[in-house]
Amino acid sequence: MAMNYTAKTRRPDNTAFKQQRLPAWQPILTAGTVLPIFFIIGLIFIPIGIGIFVTSNNIREIEIDYTGTEPSSPCNKCLSPDVTPCFCTINFTLEKSFEGNVFMYYGLSNFYQNHRRYVKSRDDSQLNGDSSALLNPSKECEPYRRNEDKPIAPCGAIANSMFNDTLELFLIGNDSYPIPIALKKKGIAWWTDKNVKFRNPPGGDNLEERFKGTTKPVNWLKPVYMLDSDPDNNGFINEDFIVWMRTAALPTFRKLYRLIERKSDLHPTLPAGRYSLNVTYNYPVHYFDGRKRMILSTISWMGGKNPFLGIAYIAVGSISFLLGVVLLVINHKYRNSSNTADITI
Amino acid sequence: YVGHREPPPGAEAYIPQRYPDNRIVSSKYTFWNFIPKNLFEQFRRVANFYFLIIFLVQLIIDTPTSPVTSGLPLFFVITVTAIKQGYEDWLRHKADNAMNQCPVHFIQHGKLVRKQSRKLRVGDIVMVKEDETFPCDLIFLSSNRGDGTCHVTTASLDGESSHKTHYAVQDTKGFHTEEDIGGLHATIECEQPQPDLYKFVGRINVYSDLNDPVVRPLGSENLLLRGATLKNTEKIFGVAIYTGMETKMALNYQSKSQKRSAVEKSMNAFLIVYLCILISKALINTVLKYVWQSEPFRDEPWYNQKTESERQRNLFLKAFTDFLAFMVLFNYIIPVSMYVTVEMQKFLGSYFITWDEDMFDEETGEGPLVNTSDLNEELGQVEYIFTDKTGTLTENNMEFKECCIEGHVYVPHVICNGQVLPESSGIDMIDSSPSVNGREREELFFRALCLCHTVQVKDDDSVDGPRKSPDGGKSCVYISSSPDEVALVEGVQRLGFTYLRLKDNYMEILNRENHIERFELLEILSFDSVRRRMSVIVKSATGEIYLFCKGADSSIFPRVIEGKVDQIRARVERNAVEGLRTLCVAYKRLIQEEYEGICKLLQAAKVALQDREKKLAEAYEQIEKDLTLLGATAVEDRLQEKAADTIEALQKAGIKVWVLTGDKMETAAATCYACKLFRRNTQLLELTTKRIEEQSLHDVLFELSKTVLRHSGSLTRDNLSGLSADMQDYGLIIDGAALSLIMKPREDGSSGNYRELFLEICRSCSAVLCCRMAPLQKAQIVKLIKFSKEHPITLAIGDGANDVSMILEAHVGIGVIGKEGRQAARNSDYAIPKFKHLKKMLLVHGHFYYIRISELVQYFFYKNVCFIFPQFLYQFFCGFSQQTLYDTAYLTLYNISFTSLPILLYSLMEQHVGIDVLKRDPTLYRYHPPNSLS
Repeated sequence: MAMNYTAKTRRPDNTAFKQQRLPAWQPILTAGTVLPIFFIIGLIFIPIGIGIFVTSNNIREIEIDYTGTEPSSPCNKCLSPDVTPCFCTINFTLEKSFEGNVFMYYGLSNFYQNHRRYVKSRDDSQLNGDSSALLNPSKECEPYRRNEDKPIAPCGAIANSMFNDTLELFLIGNDSYPIPIALKKKGIAWWTDKNVKFRNPPGGDNLEERFKGTTKPVNWLKPVYMLDSDPDNNGFINEDFIVWMRTAALPTFRKLYRLIERKSDLHPTLPAGRYSLNVTYNYPVHYFDGRKRMILSTISWMGGKNPFLGIAYIAVGSISFLLGVVLLVINHKYRNSSNTADITI
Repeated sequence: YVGHREPPPGAEAYIPQRYPDNRIVSSKYTFWNFIPKNLFEQFRRVANFYFLIIFLVQLIIDTPTSPVTSGLPLFFVITVTAIKQGYEDWLRHKADNAMNQCPVHFIQHGKLVRKQSRKLRVGDIVMVKEDETFPCDLIFLSSNRGDGTCHVTTASLDGESSHKTHYAVQDTKGFHTEEDIGGLHATIECEQPQPDLYKFVGRINVYSDLNDPVVRPLGSENLLLRGATLKNTEKIFGVAIYTGMETKMALNYQSKSQKRSAVEKSMNAFLIVYLCILISKALINTVLKYVWQSEPFRDEPWYNQKTESERQRNLFLKAFTDFLAFMVLFNYIIPVSMYVTVEMQKFLGSYFITWDEDMFDEETGEGPLVNTSDLNEELGQVEYIFTDKTGTLTENNMEFKECCIEGHVYVPHVICNGQVLPESSGIDMIDSSPSVNGREREELFFRALCLCHTVQVKDDDSVDGPRKSPDGGKSCVYISSSPDEVALVEGVQRLGFTYLRLKDNYMEILNRENHIERFELLEILSFDSVRRRMSVIVKSATGEIYLFCKGADSSIFPRVIEGKVDQIRARVERNAVEGLRTLCVAYKRLIQEEYEGICKLLQAAKVALQDREKKLAEAYEQIEKDLTLLGATAVEDRLQEKAADTIEALQKAGIKVWVLTGDKMETAAATCYACKLFRRNTQLLELTTKRIEEQSLHDVLFELSKTVLRHSGSLTRDNLSGLSADMQDYGLIIDGAALSLIMKPREDGSSGNYRELFLEICRSCSAVLCCRMAPLQKAQIVKLIKFSKEHPITLAIGDGANDVSMILEAHVGIGVIGKEGRQAARNSDYAIPKFKHLKKMLLVHGHFYYIRISELVQYFFYKNVCFIFPQFLYQFFCGFSQQTLYDTAYLTLYNISFTSLPILLYSLMEQHVGIDVLKRDPTLYRYHPPNSLS
């Protein structure tokens, strides 16, 4: 790269930039600067950690496994495929009451929703209401693309394997008659998913008309336009469906199933007591060593229950503080013996 | 290639076949081959080729990421490079077109015709006017000057701005008009085109009407090169012999072999390591995938079934595609944009060198030049510096100090650089006043100095002449390619003899009595670095023929049969010790018959087509003998400012400085003492011809190595006991003859032995001085060190054409923009105005760029490992299905936009230690571990 200057004066400019004299600063690590930093880090991190830890501990969370692989489990009978439909009831007790909004999740384990073949197996334009894609789904959906010469709507492995257990919650009060707990179906999906990514195919009022020419996914019991009676929560914009279609990153995951809204400030949403979980058991997981769980949880400003963050803060803060103390002792002890007054780290 | 035409009447007809036309093509691409050729060139780079392969794999098989993710960055990188190269090539095309279309005057059938330059053919006769450049290589036929000479400057060829005289062919210099020239019958034979600018052999046969053809030798003095400019001459005629791509200029433009920096080499090593990491990662994952999938419910659970075709695929094929898919998934571990960023960093970074105010020289108005920015970081790792002495360590600003005639020493009265005061005709007589005979000798000596040179006199008093000598109202400026000669001629002028000019082969001298003496110049036996002397044969007005010879003492003394050799030798040696450059002058009176014999000898040698150099040398050898010694001259060459300071700093920085010079040992040693290369306590080891004559080379080498090794043995002991404070250092002096003995392979094939031993000695010496070196030997030495065991980084610095070979050989070549032309600067990687600038160049810029590029490269690998390792771990959680952890856009843009700019800025600005600290403490330079990427 030849640089031929033809300028008359080749004298370079005397600017800070060109002469590489821009102001610069470099931290010199001495005991005087490092020790306070260690102490400050310790002093800031430990309270933050304690705060987060306490918050996380105040979050109520309960997990009920209802897979039924143990012979004692009430759902054990549902493992054989012959019993359809299969209902089972699991009783559990809340030791403490759940305040505020309670979120109800279902959790699956060992379910590889993140497998590449699985993740790809969907047709986003079909889900977005594109009528040509509805009748001619993408090749990515194979082998769940067509059934008996009819296009599947919604096509693909994800949709085909949609979670289809039904969970109901009852409070067993003092009187032996259980009180059902109101579970809210809507408001569990992302706004953008519900309103932008997922749309029903165009057409008249009748949803069944709009899905004409398609067939239901093989594993589904009902076609997509019969997922719910509410027209705003039916078809592709059914929120349970949308939640399922957003694939999980890890093989053990939980997905939001229902909301239990707080009714009044005076009463806890879920008072302490005995409850029963009624399951319509459709979804087989024991073939791949999977587990199914139902989770109830409250949230706080920092999200769901997560003790790790608080513990991490406390640990880092303590280590930093401890190091500070150790170095202070070392510095104090050896300050005079070495002629370099500062012990650099 | 024989420019053989039909003997008469063939005239100017040219043979149309085989000669290229005069089109110069410096551009690499044409319009239609740009894309394929450029792509081909770019994909020869390993990294680009790698990404191309990845891209193709993505296109062919079902991969986790879309081809766009690797195609887009690759496309971006390729496009940016292609645009840059295309633009450069377009500029070249434009320049070529301008060159090829400029009009040229031809002679056709005795008439002047204008044509475009590219239509010129070999054999055409061309007319060139003053200040025009020659359109192709021409044989100079005639000029409008009576003596058949013309002046040219070759500034655009080798940067030397001095005017050079070229001579027309003797037999044709009479043709002054178009008609005359049109009637010329001649054929020219010449050698194949070759790139050496200063060599040419050929022969012209001129056919007169009746006589036998006259054969004349053609040498480089008859050749006018394309690119040179005609000066001081109204117009000349010449015949085209090399055209187009066969001109010497075009041959010289063939690019030098690209030097690669050590960092770049280790970068490639890193790339290979990372490629191995990549492949092993992909392998591990593929194996694990199949282990994991061995249970069918994992391979194909009910919710995630394969298609029929997938099930039926061959297992090995599946495994192989899986392997490729993993490769694609992890391919981002190799940073696609690293080469681009590194190149940008180097290119932009080199501006800081050119911008550096400290390296700007007020006197010449020159700053440093960066000819290649690829080697910035190499400046920070130099372990050996090979420096030229004259013009590099010293100023090459010669001053005539004294002369010694017959043992009497004369010192010009007033010495101040080039300016002579009016009363300067006086001479200090140090010794007793000479006898009458001495007087005669003295005058002869001065005449010899006046005559024996190739200095030109520039008549016009143009402003750029730095040396003006007021001489009776008329100012004249001496120009020569050798500053020694100028100094001598000026010195003699101060002693009363003024060289006026060369006119019609007569040299005119103004003697002390203001009489003009005229000598006919018969022959010039020009200077070359092998003979180390030059001679002229002149005929005085009285008809006496003299041969004056001037040269280095070692080349003169053996040829002297008469004269006060011992006295002069003593004086010469004294002067040499003082660091003066000495030359001896001798003469011989020739009688007519002798002269005729010489003429024949020379003529025979000059006409020879092959081995002309050798034959000429032999002829010169025969002529220059049995001389009478007249005296010696001493010229001082002052040290450059701060040369000693610089050398001291460089040595402190742990760099070994070697001085390679063509000078004689004593002079060179004195300079070395002056610039503190040798110190008072340095023990000098000599490996010179003189010693080898006394003992055998074998013995000397072993003795030296014993001394040195004993020393190094004691050194380690010293180090152990912590008493290494004032260890003795050794300096080695070796001369060219001894070196060639060492380098020469012996019959029994044990030459390596001596070389090893020599290297061993050299390594233990803190400073080495090689004197009496031929240019090629300089390069040999550099090569010897370069390929020694440790493969140290070498740097060569020099200013003259004789340093070019070593500049090209060393890892980093630095040219000093000096007085001996710009050839060194042109061939170098960096050019600096003064030797002292080397200090900042290495200690500050080199240091910075080494740190910067190291951190840049390391950061690139680091960030990509950080980026890709989670991806690797994620495979354990997604069933080894090659699922990506990141979004496609993020994968694409991570390298080319998200992470490249901050580190680029960092790598341009970072100064981990201040400039002043680096300059103050050269030892910091040592703390670079050699080539370990910081």
